[in-house]
Amino acid sequence: MNSRLHRPLTSISSRRGYITPRRAPAANTRQVTELLDKHASSPPRPLNLSALLSFGRPLTPESLLASVSYALEEIPKRLATRVRSIEALPFIVGTNPYVSNILSSYKQSFLWFATYPTPKTIEENANFAEMLEELVEIHANDIPTMAKGFQECARYLSPEEINQFLDGAIRNRISVRLIAEQHVALSRAFQSQEKACNFGVVNTITSPAQMVRMCGSFVSELCEATLGASPSIVIDGYPDSTFAYVPVHLEYILTEILKNSFRATVENHSRQSPATRAQSLPPVMVTLSPPPRVTDSACRSSNSSGSNSNVSTLSNFYSIRVRDQGGGVSSSHISKIFSYAFTTAGRSADSDSNPDAYDYGDSGDGGGPYAAQHVGGIAAIAEGVGGGGAGQGNLFGEITGKGLQTGLGTIAGLGYGLPMSRLYAKYFGGSLDLVSLEGWGSDVFLKLRCLDEAGDSAI
Amino acid sequence: MISQSSSSRVSRCRICRPRSFTVRHESTALHFYQNKQLDLYASREAKRLTLRQLVFFGRSMTEERLIQSANYVRTELPVRIAHRLRDLQALPYVVVTQEGVAKVYELYWSAFEQFRRYPPITNIKENEAFCEFLRRILDEHGSVIPNLSLGLSISSPYLTPDALDSFMRRMLVSRISRRVLTQHHLALSDTFVGKKSTRYTDSEPRVGIIYTGLDVRRSIEKCAKLLKQRPSDVGSDYEGVEMGAVSPEVVIEGNLETKFSYIREHLEYIVFELLKNSMRATRLKHRQSSSVPPIVATIALGANDIGIRISDQGGGFNFNAHSPQVKTPSDLCSFSHVRNPQRMEDSRLGTLRSVSSRREGVWATVHEQVESWQKPQDSENGGGNDDPGKKAGVGRHSRLGIGLPMSNIFATYLGGSLDIVSLDGWGTDVYVRLPKLVSLR
Repeated sequence: MNSRLHRPLTSISSRRGYITPRRAPAANTRQVTELLDKHASSPPRPLNLSALLSFGRPLTPESLLASVSYALEEIPKRLATRVRSIEALPFIVGTNPYVSNILSSYKQSFLWFATYPTPKTIEENANFAEMLEELVEIHANDIPTMAKGFQECARYLSPEEINQFLDGAIRNRISVRLIAEQHVALSRAFQSQEKACNFGVVNTITSPAQMVRMCGSFVSELCEATLGASPSIVIDGYPDSTFAYVPVHLEYILTEILKNSFRATVENHSRQSPATRAQSLPPVMVTLSPPPRVTDSACRSSNSSGSNSNVSTLSNFYSIRVRDQGGGVSSSHISKIFSYAFTTAGRSADSDSNPDAYDYGDSGDGGGPYAAQHVGGIAAIAEGVGGGGAGQGNLFGEITGKGLQTGLGTIAGLGYGLPMSRLYAKYFGGSLDLVSLEGWGSDVFLKLRCLDEAGDSAI
Repeated sequence: MISQSSSSRVSRCRICRPRSFTVRHESTALHFYQNKQLDLYASREAKRLTLRQLVFFGRSMTEERLIQSANYVRTELPVRIAHRLRDLQALPYVVVTQEGVAKVYELYWSAFEQFRRYPPITNIKENEAFCEFLRRILDEHGSVIPNLSLGLSISSPYLTPDALDSFMRRMLVSRISRRVLTQHHLALSDTFVGKKSTRYTDSEPRVGIIYTGLDVRRSIEKCAKLLKQRPSDVGSDYEGVEMGAVSPEVVIEGNLETKFSYIREHLEYIVFELLKNSMRATRLKHRQSSSVPPIVATIALGANDIGIRISDQGGGFNFNAHSPQVKTPSDLCSFSHVRNPQRMEDSRLGTLRSVSSRREGVWATVHEQVESWQKPQDSENGGGNDDPGKKAGVGRHSRLGIGLPMSNIFATYLGGSLDIVSLDGWGTDVYVRLPKLVSLR
């Protein structure tokens, strides 16, 4: 018994017919270390959005090759940073299987990028782009995986450490995916000779109303399946307005916000009998407001440059307000809702016995309607870690579509929705705020920067 | 301005003395050395009472308790005024010598001295006299808010925005607290002697100035109705831009049966000011159309507080030249011109000046505003051709700009909150949360 513990840790012994598990994993090989050092130390070129988009305007063979060259320079730098940041976590956290799987996955991807020869021809690029796309798929479930890992490591990391780490990691991830997806989109467009204005990651005529309806129907299905009913959505404001944005970002944010609103609305009205419930559920109101253009001839805005264009420079944000009657957020929770892994799902409605308890712990307590979600969430992770991806028959698998950022197809579960949505909103300088009218409902205010005038956004 | 030299020069130069200042008989040197009295009072701590305590105390009134209340007010107020005076004394010299601020300083000193010297109250008759004294002081200090606003707006360049705003906040919070204590005692006295109150004429249940079953919906309806009756020239300073004629409706939704214990005057001021702003913005934005979108007031009954959301479609901020041009909505509650450039506008300062010199001052109530609508335009006291407001070309009813900051103070001083959020281009939402006293018996 004791002899097993004292077995030297440096070698895997097969003398007695069984393998001694190592406690401390092996260090990086020298090649990997050197590559990591090289890429992590040179600062990522401060690329701004207009530069990234410029590879596609116009799209030529030269610009395409410039784009791939850029991608091969910038992505490994960022991946190296990511690897290093995970390696900087406390040792015990790194030994968690979910975390260590993510780490090795990143290392592999990093190595692939760092050692890939720069394509010099269009054909070479086509190969590269194909593999790039696959790689993006492989990493689709990173966030749920990390989430699960952190959930298990709750006692080894403070909420602040988790928040800080995840903020950095997710920002980094958004950058990498932007660069990668932009290049993939350009490559595709080049091959098919697309002339549309919506290739590349930015769609200049993103229609929020359309996205709200799309996300709304998805969330509605989910909600019906989980909770038995779902509220309708009413869109007001300026429903025909459009703006320039990254559609997948908006899609993600809207989905998460609507999930929260729908869930709250149904839960808040759950006292009523199911028969009448559907009619009496108050709708979720979404108000769309494009950036105001000052056309007042009496404009004496202090920012006015005296030109006659009279376009306000004070606000180039597109605003969206999602208003529900879900009962609001209690004052004891309000400071935590933007914390990763805080969720009220999985607790029964009456168990506010310890409202200060974060739902961080290894709560497998799958009571109530969200039990399936936990399972679904884990199912999504399990597939992802093994290198699967979308459409692998997950019960609550990934939303179809190009490059959706996470595999969270659950109505509630991991508690990452709001903080991640906020990160996405802030990525280009926007904001996401929640104001609660406790006892009645909540309003979520989303402000997104219009990307046609945000060329100076650093990514 | 005030001469800062020796007393002999001041007494000789009667002509130079601006007529709005009370005469200072002592020189500033004497004033410095006499500050010891103030230091004594300022070193004491204020004895604060909660709303619950005020209600509880006032519920079962006896002569003895009434006398107790009188003496509490008598001894507590000079302590709090002393704190304010020390706070003023700590401001930069150049600030307190400005018009407006200097006036307030004098007023507070005078009040301090009077309270300090007031003999203890021992019976009902003495309490009557004391109540008269209190009423007089309340009256005299009616001009504090506009004077302070004026003075601090002008002094804005000499103070950091934080210092300015935190100073104003302390002053205004203290003022409200003192007036609450004073008016509560006055109301309790009136009730005790059976005097019919001229202020609280309805039969809603109350203890002193606290309404114990305050019906939120009713208060909102009342404010909406009053605003509908508002004359159209009031509050207009748009230099040629016509506001729409149609006033938006106020729709009330939410937990409509909500009732709680609160000072009705405060709640109604807040709702009144917010509805006023919303109506103005809506009328301005939709001035071209014949129908205007309604303002929606939502009442929410939370576990620990009452929430009221006022939601309009007035275009929000940064919408056009007439909408607020501030970085964040909370800057509207700032008195610093750095945060809120409108504070330094001539028309604004002119209005404040004109109002500061008026006898009745500004108490920050709904009642005084409604009353002023009924007074004809040209019969104002202290007006006439010397009225700086008139000179600046602003009408009598021009905006003071204190509605939001005062609402903010009223909402927050008992632990509530006021949050403003703008949906730029569409409208504004204001969220008021007021603490709910649990189980008042």
